[in-house]
Amino acid sequence: MSLIKQLWLAIIALLLLSFVGSLTISITTSRDYIEQEVRIKNADNANALALSMSQLDKELVTLELLIAAQFDTGYYRQITLRDTDGSVLIERVSDTYTGDVPVWFRQLVEFDVPSGTATIQDGWRQFGTLELDSQHSFAYASLWRSTLELAAWFLLAGAISLAIATMVVRGIKHPLSRVVAQAQDISARRFTTIEEPRTLELRQVTQAMNILSANVHQMLSHESHKLDELRRHLQHDRVTGALNRDVFMGKLSSQLSSDGARATGMLVMVRVQELETLNEQLGYAGTDQLLVTLVTQLGQLDNVSSEPVVGRLNGSDFIFMLPLVDDVEELRIQVMAALVEVTATVPDVEVYLPTAIVPYAPHDERAILLATLDDALAQAESLTSFEQVVVRQRERVSLYSSHAEWRAALETAIQAGPELAYFPVVDAHGDILHYECPARLQLAGKWHTAGVFIPWVTRFDMEPALDLAVVKKALLTLQTDLKPVGINLSAASITNTQFVNNLRNLLVSQPLLAKQLCFEVPATLSTHAIGSLRGLCAALRPLGCTFGIEHVGAEFTKLADLHDVGLAYLKMDSSLIHQLHASHEQQTIVRGMATLCHSLGIQVIGEGVADDDELVCLFRVGVDGATGPGIHYA
Amino acid sequence: MPASSDHSPATFSRRQFLTTVGALCLGLGLGIHPTPASAFDPQRLRQSMQQQYGQAGLAVLEEWLALLQQLQNQNVQAKLRGVNDFFNRRIRWVDDIRIWGEEDFWATPLEAMGKGQGDCEDYSIAKYITLKQLSVTSQYLRMIYVRARIGRSQITQAHMVLGYYSTPDAEPLVLDNIVPSITPASQRTDLDPLFSFNSEGLWAGGSSESRADPLARLSRWRSVIERMQTQGFI
Repeated sequence: MSLIKQLWLAIIALLLLSFVGSLTISITTSRDYIEQEVRIKNADNANALALSMSQLDKELVTLELLIAAQFDTGYYRQITLRDTDGSVLIERVSDTYTGDVPVWFRQLVEFDVPSGTATIQDGWRQFGTLELDSQHSFAYASLWRSTLELAAWFLLAGAISLAIATMVVRGIKHPLSRVVAQAQDISARRFTTIEEPRTLELRQVTQAMNILSANVHQMLSHESHKLDELRRHLQHDRVTGALNRDVFMGKLSSQLSSDGARATGMLVMVRVQELETLNEQLGYAGTDQLLVTLVTQLGQLDNVSSEPVVGRLNGSDFIFMLPLVDDVEELRIQVMAALVEVTATVPDVEVYLPTAIVPYAPHDERAILLATLDDALAQAESLTSFEQVVVRQRERVSLYSSHAEWRAALETAIQAGPELAYFPVVDAHGDILHYECPARLQLAGKWHTAGVFIPWVTRFDMEPALDLAVVKKALLTLQTDLKPVGINLSAASITNTQFVNNLRNLLVSQPLLAKQLCFEVPATLSTHAIGSLRGLCAALRPLGCTFGIEHVGAEFTKLADLHDVGLAYLKMDSSLIHQLHASHEQQTIVRGMATLCHSLGIQVIGEGVADDDELVCLFRVGVDGATGPGIHYA
Repeated sequence: MPASSDHSPATFSRRQFLTTVGALCLGLGLGIHPTPASAFDPQRLRQSMQQQYGQAGLAVLEEWLALLQQLQNQNVQAKLRGVNDFFNRRIRWVDDIRIWGEEDFWATPLEAMGKGQGDCEDYSIAKYITLKQLSVTSQYLRMIYVRARIGRSQITQAHMVLGYYSTPDAEPLVLDNIVPSITPASQRTDLDPLFSFNSEGLWAGGSSESRADPLARLSRWRSVIERMQTQGFI
């Protein structure tokens, strides 16, 4: 039985006990008191009557008149005069009860009062005995009334006590249920922290659990940073912090082949000309400083991603990927401004930074893109002007010519409903964990992948509408084909209160299907978005929905902040998976990440698995699931 | 031994609980049923007398107890005579106000014997109680309020005598202290009966058990009965 229920039972039992006890004591005391009064009255009246009769002539008519006069006051039940033999001389009886006291109460109380007796004297001799009983209706009525009054007072007092008890119990229940929730969270390996309740015992429990959570948080933060350091060491250029050539190429390939929004954007390539001359003029340290400034300045152009994708292809060539950017002219101006900043740091030296900009689109060939960039860079080098920026515009097959058309087309398409693609995510035994389901929208009569329309959806703030449409479509499909599906939610959606409400209402109406849904959010989350995600998880977890994070790479350091969200899985970015079997250090990192996640009860899934070698290696280092082009599920 | 140290607080608290419950029950029992020692108890009488009136009182009490012993198996007439003589001899008539400092004080036989002094109703009460002790039940005995003329004068005085009724409608025998011998009522022309009573109705059902309620102490009868109980008469 719950503590609160026991408390209530105890309170009610106490109240009832005090109520019944007091009532009983009160009735008993009053009854005794009344009995005593009546007894005295009986004796008193019998004596008084007998005394007056003793003084009179013992003529029966006179005596009868005297008795009748006394009896007719109405306060008597019976007055009897007996002679010395005990035979009745005169008797007056009124046994009918008059009054409104219920029978059960009279039977319960049942006054037991002896008659008052007195002897009538005739000279020295005894004339007879007078017996007298008082009427009890008055006593019953007065006792009944006082009992009713007492009961009414007790009801009032009981109501007030219950009101106070409600407040007290609520004061206990609220913090208690929070503590219970925290304990359950911790048992589910969600190490949450809650505000300390005021009750001493609960506060001690909470303190202990909060400390446990804080320790876990610290440990996670520490371990994930250590792993990230290892990753940086492996993937990044030691001088500039830019990505190594291989890593960058891997990222580029996976972006191009991906179905997501980031498959569209711009590539910027900058060459630091005459690096050796610069080394002589500035010294190695100065040159390194210049390169760091260049990478930093380029990185600042990207305000969408949490970590800009800048790669160092060789000593002097830097390449920068800017997803989601489509305005070339604006980008050119930004790049030039950044380059001016870089050259301004070394005013004494002539620095030439020829630059090429090329847009990329889904399913472009990486080699062709790089060749185009090289070609453009060569052209830029040949320019003698101050602005050594060459833009290779390619004829973009834009579906619509104006913003208004795009907006109208997207609204129609979302209204009509998206289609879902199904990509399997499998575990080590080849069983399906769930299906990744990126959306397709019908635009201009053809189904298009996210890379085509997401930039426009983002621009028009239509992500919540699109995400909701995707969830609806998924639920509709689930009605006929019940299999777990993963749905992407954008950060803009989860921070949108109305979207969260709509989503919950939608899922509450179909609880059976809701269990099949996994929601994935990109790892590039702001602190604000993490807070929203935590709220969303708490709201939807009771419905059986699970949550995951996708494209986790450098963002792994946020694990400490995400540990109490209650994530079911975490998808590792393909850059960590790419050529996993070839690098021991990479395996160490992935194994460490998997171990850390498992300690929180979070599954780890590798993204972008390209072939069986990677797949085998992935499961060997302890990853739970895999997805990517190398996964074939019959 | 950790097991025993674990166990002992539970045992202790249970014992505490039982003790508390026991004490409560005891308290309830004591509170609701105070057990008055209500029986004739010579030992207690001696104690009371010793405490209140010392050796002299005790000597009279011993005589009284001897009298009880002696009259126990005699006939009613002998009992009446013996008791009447005993108290008329042992107790000197003095007004209440001089003995007790009260206008009208009803003394118990013990108090009367202890003081050696008494008022008319003190004689009557003492005789009544003693006769009852000698198995003369209260249906035969009545205390009678009478108007007494002193000597041949016209001066009258409120007085009380004990009447013995062989049957309810018979003429009573009068046990008095003014005229020491027992005489039939008709011969007592100096007395004018007004009203009579006995302990019936006061002592419930004629039993010796008094109703020990606080209100009842208001009556003189009650007060006397109460004191007689504590002293050990009834």
